[in-house]
Amino acid sequence: MVSVNSKNGNPSSKTKKRKKKNGQSEIPSRFYGVPLPGVKLEELSGTLFVLEGTDGSGRSTQISLLTEWLESEGFAVQTMGLRRSFLVADDIDTLLAENSVTPMTLALMYSTDFFDQLERRILPALRSGLIVLADRYIYTLIARSAVRGIGRDYLHGIYEMALRPDLTFWLNVKPEIAFDREFKKSQTISYWESGRDMSLSNDLFQSFIRYQSLIRREFDYLSQRHGFIEIDGEESVSEVNRVLRKRIASALGIRSTHYKPSHALAHLWR
Amino acid sequence: MATVLLEASTTTRTSIVKPPAPKRQYPGALVVVEGIDGSGKSTQLYLLKRWLEIGGYRIHFTEWNSSPLVKSATRRGKQRRLLTPTTFSLLHAADFADRCERQILPLLHGGYLVLADRYIYTAFARDAARGCSPHWLRNLYSFAPVPDITFYFRAPLDVAVNRIVAGRPKLKYYEAGMDLGISLDRAESFRIFQERILSNYDSMVESDHFVLMDGTVQVNKLQKLMRQVLGEKVELTQFAPKK
Repeated sequence: MVSVNSKNGNPSSKTKKRKKKNGQSEIPSRFYGVPLPGVKLEELSGTLFVLEGTDGSGRSTQISLLTEWLESEGFAVQTMGLRRSFLVADDIDTLLAENSVTPMTLALMYSTDFFDQLERRILPALRSGLIVLADRYIYTLIARSAVRGIGRDYLHGIYEMALRPDLTFWLNVKPEIAFDREFKKSQTISYWESGRDMSLSNDLFQSFIRYQSLIRREFDYLSQRHGFIEIDGEESVSEVNRVLRKRIASALGIRSTHYKPSHALAHLWR
Repeated sequence: MATVLLEASTTTRTSIVKPPAPKRQYPGALVVVEGIDGSGKSTQLYLLKRWLEIGGYRIHFTEWNSSPLVKSATRRGKQRRLLTPTTFSLLHAADFADRCERQILPLLHGGYLVLADRYIYTAFARDAARGCSPHWLRNLYSFAPVPDITFYFRAPLDVAVNRIVAGRPKLKYYEAGMDLGISLDRAESFRIFQERILSNYDSMVESDHFVLMDGTVQVNKLQKLMRQVLGEKVELTQFAPKK
């Protein structure tokens, strides 16, 4: 009886493997490498737009505005970001607070957070034809780990199963400008934003500038490798928003890009 | 000895990624045991550990999945069955990275003999059985130091499965590989899952230089052999107590 069972087990595992191989050869470039197990690309009718940039580059503001604009145009929007998974978001918060965590462990916790959101929230949203706006994506995760000495190839290897965005915007901002904005926002500069775990400088301002410069250099490299759309993030909110709307509108076939924020968001419009 | 050390794997599957080159930049040594549930590996490593402890050697024992780091996440994921093959694998990798960077590597640099109950090959065998790409898994764990000895305990599937099923009233959901949807019957699912893992282990015997140990051999005889192999491959005197 036992040997009968084992024979039943074998063919099914073989068919599974064969299916996967076929899938692999047919995939267009929506994944960087091997696709996630069990994902059928033809089912993904939604669109994924990513906003990348360092701290203080204005990503979150733009996401709020774009969400309102897209909804007014009749598109359903889902957002994602870092540390927003059900699975490990709280655990990462704890790790960051303790700051005894090593770079490799943190990198892998963030990748768990990323894939939990991707598999359980973003892919279902894309299957339902939603627009997904990502406030940061794998690129921030790669950049942060790379400046801490983890190999770029290693990091790209982990994220090779991630979905390639339809468009990736890079809001490029000088670290000095980012510092002003971040300081204005919270009246202080956080431990991680200034990369204090890297012992770059005891002077917090210097530490922030050096750390964000290192991250920016990684973005520069990633931008070339992955074809980011670079936007001058030092422009006014309304100007950056106009450029974003133009590109997104043409990707989605929206004719008019006219938009004026509602009363609720008017304070963001500078 | 020849009766216990089996012939190298009978499988002809070629390994997908080239084996990691063993390199040691530390004075310590790393000895690991691998094998499916019920293969006898933990019993044997326990006995080896006791022998070394009693002898006063500088050793440290570490287990797969022992860090408090991911315990809450793993529990959350398992209770609500939220783990996918990918997140299951990444969580274990994060846990291992924590142990590796804060425990295993410092101890190896500090000249300890480190004994590990399960190591990265557990992830290679088990996560690939869940559908993760073997190539992706090899990259994921490429930061791990290569062991000086990997004892691979191999028992026939029936023997191993019966040992586990007999001692356990109920197999857990992920343990039985129920997330794979192979079978609605837990015992049946467990069996097929273990069979896949076993075949994945077998395919690594040569590429990863496993020392094959026959898990059906009498406990004390197998332990004698294990100590003998350890003595041959690792310079034990460097871990011995100073007189």
